Amino acid sequence: MMHELTATLRPILATLPLLHIVVAAPFVGAMLLLFINDSRPTTVRVIGVVASAISMVASFAIAIAYDMAAGGVQMTSELALVPSLGINLSLGVDGWGVSLLILTGLIMFAGAWASWTVKTRGREFYLMLLVLVTGVFGVFVSLDLFVFFLFYEIAVLPMYLLIGIWGSSNKVADAGPFKFIWKLLDIGGKEYAAMKLTLMLLIGSALIVAAMAAMYIEAGSTSFDLRHLEKTRFSLGLQLWAFPALWVGFGTLAGIWPFHTWSPDGHASAPTAVSMLHAGVLMKLGAFGVMRIGMVLLPEGAREWAWLVGGVAAINILYGAFAAMAQKDLKYIIAYSSVSHMGVVMLGAATMTVNGWNGAVYQMFAHGLMTGLFFALVGLIYEQAHSRWIPDFGGFAKKQPYIAAFFTLGCLSSLGLPGLAGFVAEWLVFLGAWQSPHAWWAIIGLLGAWITAIYVLRATRRIFWGPAPDEKWTDIRDPRGTEWVALWMLGLALVLFGAVPSLILDFIDVTTVETLPRVANAALEVLR
Amino acid sequence: MTHDLLALLALLSPLVAAVVLFIIAPLRVRGAVSAALTIGATSVSLVASVLLAAARMFGATAPNVDLQLAWLPGGAQTLATVGVYVDPVAAPMMVVVALVALCVQVYSVGYLGHEPSRDRGRYFAYHALFAFSMLGLVMAPNLLQLFVCWELVGLASYLLIGYYWTKPSAGQAALKAFWVTKFADMGLMLGLMVLYVKTGGFDWNVPVGQALMTADAETIAGLFFLAVVGKSAQFPMHIWLPDAMEGPTPVSALLHAATMVAAGVYLIVRAYPIFMLAPTVLTVMVYLGAFTALFAAVVAVFQDDIKKVLAFSTCSQLGYMVAALGTGSMVSGYFHLTTHAFFKALLFLTAGSLIHAVHSNSLHDMGGLWAKMKPTGILLIIGSLALAGFPMTAGFFSKDLILEELLHAGHYLPLGAAILAAGLTAFYMTRVVMLSLFGAPSEAAEHAHESPAVMLAPMVLLAVLALAGGLLHGDFARMAGVEAAFHVTPVGVVATLVGFSGIGLGLWRFSPGRRTAIGTQWVSAPMRLLTWLTASKPVDVFFAGFYRQAMLRAAAGIAWFDRYIIDALINLSGWAVLRGAERFRELQTGQPTDYVYAVVGGLIVLTAMGVFTA
Repeated sequence: MMHELTATLRPILATLPLLHIVVAAPFVGAMLLLFINDSRPTTVRVIGVVASAISMVASFAIAIAYDMAAGGVQMTSELALVPSLGINLSLGVDGWGVSLLILTGLIMFAGAWASWTVKTRGREFYLMLLVLVTGVFGVFVSLDLFVFFLFYEIAVLPMYLLIGIWGSSNKVADAGPFKFIWKLLDIGGKEYAAMKLTLMLLIGSALIVAAMAAMYIEAGSTSFDLRHLEKTRFSLGLQLWAFPALWVGFGTLAGIWPFHTWSPDGHASAPTAVSMLHAGVLMKLGAFGVMRIGMVLLPEGAREWAWLVGGVAAINILYGAFAAMAQKDLKYIIAYSSVSHMGVVMLGAATMTVNGWNGAVYQMFAHGLMTGLFFALVGLIYEQAHSRWIPDFGGFAKKQPYIAAFFTLGCLSSLGLPGLAGFVAEWLVFLGAWQSPHAWWAIIGLLGAWITAIYVLRATRRIFWGPAPDEKWTDIRDPRGTEWVALWMLGLALVLFGAVPSLILDFIDVTTVETLPRVANAALEVLR
Repeated sequence: MTHDLLALLALLSPLVAAVVLFIIAPLRVRGAVSAALTIGATSVSLVASVLLAAARMFGATAPNVDLQLAWLPGGAQTLATVGVYVDPVAAPMMVVVALVALCVQVYSVGYLGHEPSRDRGRYFAYHALFAFSMLGLVMAPNLLQLFVCWELVGLASYLLIGYYWTKPSAGQAALKAFWVTKFADMGLMLGLMVLYVKTGGFDWNVPVGQALMTADAETIAGLFFLAVVGKSAQFPMHIWLPDAMEGPTPVSALLHAATMVAAGVYLIVRAYPIFMLAPTVLTVMVYLGAFTALFAAVVAVFQDDIKKVLAFSTCSQLGYMVAALGTGSMVSGYFHLTTHAFFKALLFLTAGSLIHAVHSNSLHDMGGLWAKMKPTGILLIIGSLALAGFPMTAGFFSKDLILEELLHAGHYLPLGAAILAAGLTAFYMTRVVMLSLFGAPSEAAEHAHESPAVMLAPMVLLAVLALAGGLLHGDFARMAGVEAAFHVTPVGVVATLVGFSGIGLGLWRFSPGRRTAIGTQWVSAPMRLLTWLTASKPVDVFFAGFYRQAMLRAAAGIAWFDRYIIDALINLSGWAVLRGAERFRELQTGQPTDYVYAVVGGLIVLTAMGVFTA
C-alpha cells in the first residue's frame, strides 16, 4: 500500500528540483525579509514559518522520491562554480542525508513557531535563523567537498550574532586555579559565550581546511567531488594525520571531549529557537562530517584511530552525564546531556559495524528531536519564571501540566526508554559496540544511560513534582497558541519514530550498507 | 486466523485506549470516560485471552499464534521483529494479567471515587498503558520485544507510584523504583547483546548445544537473572518495592504484587531453554530465592504498615517462585505465580478497603473492624489462608509443589528456609488479621464503613480464584508435558503443620486479651536491633550512601573539573592571546624615528643575508 503509493508519486516528484527547493526556500525567505518593514512583525513571522514549512514539506517529498531499492546518491544535479579548480555546486542525497533533511525540516519548522514571541529585532532574528538553516540543509545535500564546507560555515557563523544579540547572560562563579582569567574575560556573559563558540568552531574549521586541501591535492587537484574523492585511495601517511584533523575539526561541533566546553555556555546563553537548532541539528553536522567525510573518504585512517574516537566518545558519555548531574541551571543540564548523547553518536560511528552506524545516524535524528523538544520547553519555562535555577523550582506540574508531561516525555527518550526514538538509537549503538573489538564501550554506554535516568528524572521531580508552587510563581502557565506547535510536533515525532523506527531507519540502512564495507574492509596492510 | 485476530485484539485494545486517552485531553479529563474506556478495553483483552487460553489448556491443543512484523532493519535484513505470540505458556499468563487488571480497574472506580476527575482520568490512562505493556510482554514473540515491554511496565510503575506527585515521598519512591530496576535492566540488555552475538537473534528457542555453549548460556542467564533480581525484588535489590507502596493501593495490588513484579519470574519461564543450559545460575537462583523468601518473611513480621507487610510478603513469595524455577521445575514456579497473583491481589484490595475505611495504613489505627466490615473481613481471611497455604486453598497446592521440587532436587538448606518462611508467613498474616479485624477498635475504626459494591465485587471474584485456583494444578503440569496428580507427601504434611503452628502462634500472641504491645514496640533492645537489621535498613543505607557519596560526589567533581580546569584552560588560551596582543601592540610606538631605524636595520640585515648566501 505505502510502497505502491510512493512508487506512483516518485516519477511525479522526480520532475521537481526538490534538493534546490529544500536549500533555497529558507534563503529566499531570508532575502524577502530584507524588504519587509520592521513594523510588521506578523508578516516577518509568517514568512519565517512559510519558508521553513516549504523546506519541511520538500524534505518529506525527498524521502518519498528517494528510491530505496536503487540506493546510492540520488537526485543529482551539477552546476559549475569554479571550473578551473573543479568546484561544482553538485547536489545529491543519500539515505543518511534523507533522514537528516527530515530532522532539519522538523526542527526548523518547530523553531520558527517557537520564535513567534521574539520581541526585539524579530526581522533580523528570523533572517539569521533562515540563513543558518540554509547552510544546514546545504551540508546534507552537498556532493562537493568545497561546497560542503561552504555551507558548513554558513551554518556556523550566524550563531555568533544570534547568541550575542538575542542571548541571555549568566554569571559563573570564579574559582579554581585559573581564577585570574575571570578578570579579563567576561565569563558567562552572552558575548563571551558567542565568542567562545565561534572561535572554537573556527579553529576546528582550520583543521578541516588543512585536511581538505591535502586530500584535494593528493587526489590530483582536479575535483572536490565526493564521488571522485571516494574513488581515490589516499596514502596511509595522509590518512593518519588527516583523519584526526577532520575528527577534531568536525568533532568540535559535535561536542567531543575535551573540545565540548563551548556547548554548555553557548546553549545556555542562546535564545530558544537557536538552542533548538543548534543542539538539535548543528551538532549533528559535526558528527555527520566525521562519518561522511572523515570515515568514508579516509577509511584506513578511521580504522587506525577508531580506538581513540570510541574511547573519547565513551568519556563523553560518562563525563557529560556526570557533569549534567551536578548542574543546577536547567539549560546547563540539557546542554551537558547533549554532550553525553553526542558521545553515543560518536561511539556508534567508531564501532564500524552496521548496527553501530545505523544507531549513530539514528541517534543524530532521535537526539535532534528530543533536544529540540527540551529547549523549546526550557524556553517556555524561562519566559514565564524568568529563572532557570532548579533549586528555586518545585510543584510546577500544578500550573504547567502539559509542560511537565512533555518534559517527562523528553526525559524518557533521553534515558533510552523503549517505545521512544532514543531507545532505538542507543540500543543499536550499544549492540554495535558489543560486536566491535571494544566490547567495553557497550558497558560504558549502558552505564551512561542509567546515569541519564538518574539526572533527568531528578530534575523532573525537582521542577514539576512536590507541593504546589508558592506565591513566587504566580505567573507560570501552560503554553498558549503558537507555543503548542513545537511541543506537539516534536513530542509526537519522538513517539512515532520510536514505535515505528523503520520509517527513518530504512533510509539510513541503505547508505550504511553501501558505505560501511569501504571502512570495514579498509586494507591497512596493502597501504603499508 | 480467528486466533490471530483475537491475539491482536487482546494486545491492541488497551493500546488504543491508552493512545486515545494520552492524546485527546477532553476525554481524559473526564474521569468517568477515561475509566470506561480503559475498563472496556481491558474487558476485550480478557475475553480474547480467555478464548485463546481455553483453546490451549484443559487438554485442547490449538496451534500457536505467531504473527510478526519487521521492526528494526540492520544490514539490509531484519534485525528484530515485533508481534504477538500465543502458546500454552503465554496463554494462562494473559488471562491472569487481563483478569487481575480488570478487577483492579473496577475496584479503582470506587477507591479513587473522591479524587478530582482529571486525576482519575490520568490514573486510568496510566492503567491502559500498563495493560498494553504487560500483555505485550507476555505475548512477546522474542526477547527483545519482551524487553521493550519490560521497560514500559517499569514506566507505568513509575507513573503510578508517583500518582500522588505533590507528596514528596511519592516522588522519591517513584524515582527509587525506576533507578533500581533500570540499573538491573542493564543485565537484561547486556544478556540480549550476548545472545545476539552468539545466536544472531533474540529468540529463546536456541538450538541446544549447537549455537549456544554452556559458558555462553551461563553468561546470558546470569545477566538475565540480574534483571530479574531487580524487577522481581529479590535480595538485595528488593529495596524499591516497600517504598513503591506510596502508590494508590490498587496499583500495589496490580503492579507490585500480582503482575509487574512477576514479570521477572515470567522472563525466566520464557527464557527457560536458556536457563536450563546454565546449572550454576539455577543453583544461585535456588539459594537466593530461598534466602529472599525467608528474609522478607522475617521482615514482614515486624512491619506496622499493612501495605509494607504485604510488600515484604510479595518479596518473599517471589523468592519461592525464583527458587522453584531454580530447581528446574518450570511448572511449580509458574503455577505459584498464577495463584499468588490471585490471592495477593485480593489481599491488597482488602487492605485497600480497610485503609479506605480508616484513612490510615497503620495497623495501630485499625482493630475491631470485623464488626463494621464483615465482607471485607471474610475476604481478608480467605486471602490470608491462601497465602499461608491452608489446605485446599490455591496457595496450598502451589507452595506444596515448590517444596516437593526443592526436596527432589536435593536442596535441603533452601528447603528448610522455605518451610520456615511458610511458618512465618502464616504467623504474620494471622497477625495482620488479628490486629486489623479483632480487638478493641481504634478511634479511626469507630467511623469505618464497608466499601461499596464496586470494590467488593472484584474482591469476591479474586477470592473465588484464591480458593479454587489450585484446581488448575493438573493443567499447569500438562503444559510442561508432565502428568501430575496431586498426592500427599511427607514434606507437604510437614509444611502444613508448620503453617498451622504459625497460625496458632499468631492467634495466641495477638489474641485480643494479650495484644498489649504490637509491631516494633513489643521487642526489647536486642530485638530492636534485629528489627532494624531485618527491616532491610542496611541495604537501603548502603544504596543511599552509594548514591550520595559516590554518584553525587563524582558528579560534583567532574562538573568542577570541567568548569575550572578544562574550560579554564580554553579561557587561558584566550587570555594568553589577548595579553600577547597587548605586548605586540607596543611595537607600534608611533615615533617616526623608530620606524626609520627599523627600515634601515632591516635593509642591513637583508643585504647581509644576500651577501652571505650569494
